[in-house]
This record gives sequence, structure tokens and C-alpha cells, in this order.
Amino acid sequence: MKVLKKIGYIIALALFLTLTLGPFIWTFILSVTPEYAMMEKTSGLFPDMVIYDNYRELLTEGTQRGALLITGIKNALKAVGAALLIGIPVAMMSAYALSRMEFKGRKLIKNLLLITMIIPVMATIIPLFRLFVARQWLDDIFWLSIVYVSSYLPMATWLISNYFSTIPKELEEAALIDGCGRMASFLRIIVPSSYPIILSAALIMFLNTWSQFQIPLILASSLETKPVAIVVSEFMTKDSVQYGLTAAAGIIAVVPPAATALIFRRFLISGMMRGSVKG
Amino acid sequence: MKKKVLSMFLGLSMIVSLAAGCSGGNASEDTPADAENTETAAEESSDGGSITLMVPDWAIPTEEQLAEFKEESGIEVVVNEVGWDDIRDKMVTAAAGGQAVADVVEVDWSWVGEFYAADWLEPLDVSDEVKADMPTMETFTKDGKVLAVPYANDYRLSYYNTKQYEDAGIKDEPQTWEEVYENCKTLKEKGVCDYPFALPLNAEEKTSTYLMWLAYTMNGVVFNDDGTLNRDSVLAALQYEEKLIKDELVDPADKTSSGMDAYKRILSGSANFLTGPTSFVSKSTNEEECSVIGQIMPILVPGKDAKATVTMALPEGLGVTKFSENKDAAKKFIKWYTSADMQENLNASNTAIPTLNSVLKKLIDDGTIKNAGAMMEEAELIVSPFPGGVPSYYAEMSNAMYNAINKMALGEMNAEEAYAEMETKVAELVKAE
Amino acid sequence: MKNKILPYLLLAPMILIMGVLVFYPIIATFSYSLKKWKLTAPADIRFVGLKNYAVVLTSESFWYSFRNTVFILAIVVVLTTVLGFLVSVLLNVNVKGAGILLAIAILPWALPPYVNGILWKFVFSSGYGFMNKVLIGLGLISQPVEWLGSRWSLLLLVSLVVTWRSIPFMALVCLAGRQSIPEGLYEAARIDGGNTGTIFRTITLPLMLPFLGIGITSASVTAINVFDEIIALSGYSDLGKNILVESYLTTFSFLDFGKGSAVTYLVMFFAGILGVFYLRSLNKEVEY
Repeated sequence: MKVLKKIGYIIALALFLTLTLGPFIWTFILSVTPEYAMMEKTSGLFPDMVIYDNYRELLTEGTQRGALLITGIKNALKAVGAALLIGIPVAMMSAYALSRMEFKGRKLIKNLLLITMIIPVMATIIPLFRLFVARQWLDDIFWLSIVYVSSYLPMATWLISNYFSTIPKELEEAALIDGCGRMASFLRIIVPSSYPIILSAALIMFLNTWSQFQIPLILASSLETKPVAIVVSEFMTKDSVQYGLTAAAGIIAVVPPAATALIFRRFLISGMMRGSVKG
Repeated sequence: MKKKVLSMFLGLSMIVSLAAGCSGGNASEDTPADAENTETAAEESSDGGSITLMVPDWAIPTEEQLAEFKEESGIEVVVNEVGWDDIRDKMVTAAAGGQAVADVVEVDWSWVGEFYAADWLEPLDVSDEVKADMPTMETFTKDGKVLAVPYANDYRLSYYNTKQYEDAGIKDEPQTWEEVYENCKTLKEKGVCDYPFALPLNAEEKTSTYLMWLAYTMNGVVFNDDGTLNRDSVLAALQYEEKLIKDELVDPADKTSSGMDAYKRILSGSANFLTGPTSFVSKSTNEEECSVIGQIMPILVPGKDAKATVTMALPEGLGVTKFSENKDAAKKFIKWYTSADMQENLNASNTAIPTLNSVLKKLIDDGTIKNAGAMMEEAELIVSPFPGGVPSYYAEMSNAMYNAINKMALGEMNAEEAYAEMETKVAELVKAE
Repeated sequence: MKNKILPYLLLAPMILIMGVLVFYPIIATFSYSLKKWKLTAPADIRFVGLKNYAVVLTSESFWYSFRNTVFILAIVVVLTTVLGFLVSVLLNVNVKGAGILLAIAILPWALPPYVNGILWKFVFSSGYGFMNKVLIGLGLISQPVEWLGSRWSLLLLVSLVVTWRSIPFMALVCLAGRQSIPEGLYEAARIDGGNTGTIFRTITLPLMLPFLGIGITSASVTAINVFDEIIALSGYSDLGKNILVESYLTTFSFLDFGKGSAVTYLVMFFAGILGVFYLRSLNKEVEY
């Protein structure tokens, strides 16, 4: 029984690894294959000749494409950073009010917030663009990141408020009796004990924001502001589909979020874990 | 301890975010100031000033070229590089908001009709001399108004692999479409090439344009004068494509892979015959892209009884947006950018193919463009197939056409049904005009 | 008195952001959908009431895309839930390197959807794709298969690709859910003589439902809003288009803003029905 279980686990693991990593490996192979060799009608999986030109070109800041990609990565990081710095505190304040305070309209506000999770970008993009034009917010990473915040605020607020409601009320009441104000008790009691969820909400927001395409395309596609996802898509142009280059750029673009996920992976789970357990 | 550090960090991030909120406020205060700056820049534009240029990467002039232009005219050019597909989206969104995305923008030939109908482009003045030397200008003209000046040439030219012809014992280059078909059959039968004909059949723009120029070079006409499809010509072209598909002279992969991939099959010897972009002249001599260098020959496009007497061009141009506040400077830029000297320069720096026939001729004659074959002769045959200029419903028409062709390729329809589907749609669009 | 204002003060930034960047645009889009507004006819913009909706709802093309959307939605939600749960079981095993496994599991999530589509196109390209090369190499097929050549196989592929990208989030919420169940509960159940099946039904499943709820919501939203992957795999072909592609084509390609906004609104209406359904299940857990 135990042996069977072990074999089952190994098979499942092998399957999982193949299916998850397979496409990445295949993309990597393509990224080092010369352009014409991709079109050849052979069943050979590996090219006769391996070229690292694509990576060389993309990772040298001196080349035009390299500069583009590197700026793209920087832009994406900036937008993600700004979105987190603004989004997380806003989500925490909302979550605190929604999970631990009684007031008129609480349920309505919460439902309205949650329902926005389902709204497609297409439904808001044209009026948003007009607004951005009128206020001169176009091509500005700060305002772009506020739009990101608006699309992930519902999910973040929901996760965090679930977590807050698991923190025993008594803790906070004790602080209130000690003469702390509501805000002080929020900052001293609630915030410190909920860092796992905060980190996990931040990581979720990071991963979702990193891959944004349509929003920045319309609102911030200038050279100084466009994120890496757009840069990568631009390697596939009307008259030259540069598969090798696109593949290489795709691989490079995955590195920052993957590295972040690797570092903070622990919090991803522990943060969400307490979400539903009653205090 | 750890918790304390973290809570401090979080507290800090709250403060930072508050500060960010404040700086956000500042930013919005800053913006009007910026706006003033740009306004002053606009005012200066009478004696120089600055314009924005939105084009795909291949159209961006080098820094030296731009510096030269600035010295000459005093106008500074701010470049905004946007992917080709995305430029149209941006134009559309911006124009819907009553805004100029840039002063000078890329205008593809296929956008001319809708941009004109939507009134987004400023008519340009072009001398008759230039018009006469630039056959693709016709494509950018609507109701006698020139809406953009072509800067990159692209017209249909045929290519075939000479070595494969030798291997199969075929002597002469094909003169007619029927010969192309027969030769492809021979190539396949003799085992020289499995899928000799490169034909885009995927549901995309290239599939529609292929049908258009096939019909055009085969029968000299695609559309009737009222804009509807010419039944005899288009149906014949569709049936020709159907025949190629049925006899498996076209790679099944062409049905779903991108049109560019279908074209590129000739560069690896997987296809023998291609009618496609002029850029394949230089691609066929580029070691990185081509594994059969020296075997690909650019020739005149075949026709019905002999070589075709017309060919279709798919050029790209530059236009000035209606909402632009620096129209004069923008027009100066376009004039400079499309001048004979610049076209020669751009060929060297961006491999752009000149739109002025005189420049093209010069580059071919002095050997700058290698392996040119019939490139020059073909350039003189460019005539637009659209009787009233590119129609405003082009995008919707092309969508209906490529979807019908794709369905035919996948075996869901025969040529007659596919034709009927596109004919109905086009008639509907013409009527709605 | 002060405490009455405090919650609203705390909510103010959120309300401001959502109000300006989500609710205002949504209302504006609705007003567009009631107009005849074609960019190629700038002189003829006028109020037409619900006519755009009538035109869209009677067009065959809309219902075709609608069926495609429903198909993708069904496959993605079912597969993401089942596979995401299975992956979470795998990740829950305490072995050396479990952290690395977790990081690997997250990888697909970090991929921009458009890049994701291209990546899978490399695998399933009809001619020189990975799948065909492997199958030919193994001698299972002699001719390359046209994976993207028919409606249902294309849609199935799109669904699989989207599933692949949505599994990580589902796996993570499931893992969080699974780990939040106190071991004591299981021990007690085992002492009471429960077998694996009953334990799963009486303990694991009910306690994980709230987590599954958020996972399924997220998967559904993703599935309805699939766009980049379809474009990367099949372009703007009629074959695989869903309502979102239809809406994009109408608005941005055919420049009919009125009709396009109506299509977008119908997508939202459709998603909204699901949304209400989820709200109920989400709220249940939140209200202790």
C-alpha cells in the first residue's frame, strides 16, 4: 500500500512537472533555434545548431531591442510597485471597515465592490481613455497603477477582510479599553498580526499586474511607460514574426515574477490559510 | 521581533502611500504646467517647435537623420514607437476621444478608407511630379485628396525556387497561373517538393489580400465599379485556390499558421512558388533567414494567358492627424521623410523599399538591392484594384473574406459557397454605405 | 459620533478609486450602447434606444460567439477546479523541495496571457509544432495534425491553455484551504472509524468550500474574459471567437462603438448573473 502510494505520487509528480515546465522548455529550445530551422519539416526536436543571439541581443542594453526590453521590465516593476504601495493600504483600510465595523450601507458597499470583479476591461476602457485624456493622465505610470489598483482591489479587500475577521475581537477590545483609539488599535493590533495575508495579497496583485496588456496598451504605451508584456508582443509584427526573439523575450519576462514568487512563496499559502477559520 | 520589523515596514509603507497620494496630487498639479510647456512648444512651432511621430519600429529614422532634420528645419521630432497592429487601436481610441495620438502617424493602405470617412487625416499637398513617380500614391488618395504619402513600398512579386525546377526538369519560369499549377503538380509528383505552393489560408488579413491580387493578376479586376465583388474574377480565383488545396499542393499547416509563416516556407525550400511581399527580395539573400540562398528568383507575377499586366501594392504611408496642433511642421516632416534623398538613406538604415520609382531604379541599378530580378519591371505595373479608393468598410469586408476562405480551406464550404458568403456580406456593406 | 464617520473615512479612498475608474466608465459605456455611433460616420451620431441590443441579439454571429464562450467557461471551470485541487494535494505532501515545487506551480500564472498563447501555439502549430513532432517521432501519426483546424478542437485547446494558466491560483487557494483544516479533526474522524471517502465528504470538502468559491469565481472571470489566447492561437477567425473577440471586432475593427458597447454590456450581463450567484456563496463565509 505504501509503495503503491509512493509510486502514485512519483507518477503524479512527473506528470505535473512535464505539463508545467514542458512548454517553458520547448519555448527555450525555440529561442535558441535559428529562424529557418523552425520551418523545416523534420521530426527532430532539437536544432542542429544552437544560437544564443536572441538572448545576447535582448540582454545588451546597447541594442535597440535590448534597451526596449529592459526599459519594459523596469516600467512593469515601477507600475507594480506603485500599485502595491497604494493598493495594499487602501485594501487594508477598506477591509478593516468592512469586516470589523458596523455602519449603514456596509453590505451594499461590499457587494458592489465584489461584483466589480467580473467587469471586463473592454467595458471601461473607452470612457477611461477619455477621462485620461481630459485629465492629462496618459502615459503616466502613477495613474496607470491606480487603474491596476481598481482592478485588483476587490479581490485584495475580500482576502484581507476574511483574514481580519479571524483576529479575535477581544484583542482589539482590550486595546480600546486601554484607551487606544480605533485607528491606533488598527495600526497596533490588526496590522502587525496580519502580515501573512498582506504579503500574499501583495504577491497576488504583483502576479496579476505584471501580465497586464490591454490597459497599458491604451493608457500608457509610450516608450517611457510601456510594460514588458507589450514589448514582447511587439516582437511579433505585421511582416516579421520573430519566433526566436519572442520566445527568448517571453522567457526573460517570466523571470522577475517567478523569482518573486520563489522568495515569497511561503506567505502565499499562510496568508490565505486563516481566511475562513473562525477565530 | 520579526513581527515588529514587519509591522514597522507596513506602517512605513502606509506613510509612503500617503505621501504617494500627496505626490499624486502634486502630479496632477504638475500636469497643467506640463501642458503649458507643450503649449509654448506648440507656439514655438511656427519657428521650429516639436512634433510627435507614431510609427512601428521599421519606420523610425536614426538619431543622426533626425538631428539632420532638426538642423535643417528647426523642428524637433519626438518618436513614439508602437507595434503596427496597435497603432490602429490607438488611433481609434484616441479619435473617439477627440484627441490626436500624435502629429504624424503611420497609415497603412488598408486604413485609408475608414480614416477618411472618420475624418481623422489632414489632406496633404503633393506635387504632380512626385505623384507621377510614386505609383502607390493612388492607394492613399480618396476623392482626389492625398491623405498620406507612402514611405515603404510593398507590392506583389512572384518568386520561385530555380534549383527545384531544375531537379524536376522544368525549363522555363511560369508565365501563367495555369503553368504555375501544372509545374507544382510536377514538383510534387517527382518528389522534389511536397507542398510547392505557399498560400496563406489562416483567418487573417493576408488571406484576403492574396485572393484580391490573385483575382486581380488573373483577370485584371476584383471589384465592380459600385464596389461589389466581380463574380467571374473572384470566383475563378477562389476555385484556383480550392484546386491547389484539393491536390495538396498547399501545406495543410498554411490553413492555420500565420500568413507570414506560409510565405516564409519558400525561404527553407519547403515551398517552391510564392507571390508575396517585395521584402522577400532581401530576405532571400539573408543568411539568418534563408537556407536556400541563390535558389530563389524574383519574377513577374503570372497572369491568365501571359504575365499579368497589373499588380497590387500594399504600401505604408505617413499622414497628419486632423487633431494635430502642429500641422505645418508635421507636413514639413513628411515631405522631408519621403524625399528622394531620405528614401535612399532609409533603405540603407531601415531596409525600406523606396516608393519613388526613380530611387528604386537607382538602387537596383547600382547593386544596392541585390537579387532584384523582376522587381523594377513589376513596380511599373502597380495599379490600385479599388475603383473608388479603399472603402471605409474595408476591415469588415476583409474579415468576411478571410473567414470564408478559411472555411473553404478547412473543408466546411466549397468555393461557390465561400464566394456566396463573401458576396452577400460585401453587397450588404456596399448598401449600408 | 466620530466612530460613525470613521468607517466611511476608511472606505473613502476605495470608493473614490472604484467610483472614478470603474463605476463612472461603466455608466458611460452604457450610454454609448444606446447610440448609433459609428466612427466612419462621424456626422451621424444619435440616440437609438435599445436598437443596438436588438440588432446584436438577433445576429447569428453573436450567438455563435456566445456558445463558444459558454463552452470555454464550462471546460475551464471544471478542469481548473479538478486539476487545481489535485495539484494542491500534490503540493501538500511534505517532502524535501516542496517549496521549489510550489514555485514551479506558480510559473504559469506569471506569464502574460498573450505570451501564454504564443507559447502554446509553438506546441500545437500544425506543421512544425512540438506535439506533431513528438507524435510523428513516436510513429503514432504519419501526417501532421491540424490541431487548430476545427471549431471544437480549437476551443478545447483554448480552454486547456487558459486552464493551464488558471490552475496555479486554484491550487494555491485549495492548498491554503487544506492546510487551514486542523489535523485534530482528521484524527477524531479516523478514531470514529471514518474511511477516506467519508472523511473527504464530511470534513475536507465542506471546510474547503469557501476557498473553492473564490477559486471558481476567479476561474470563471478569467474564462469569460479570454482574449489574448484566442488571438494568439487563431487570430480573429470566426472559428474560435468568443463574445469578447466579437466585442473587440465590432468596436475596434469595424469601428461601431454603439454596437460594440452593447456587445460588451451583454458580456457583463452574462458575467453578472454568475456574479450574483458567487456573491451569495462568498458572503456566506464572510458573515460569521
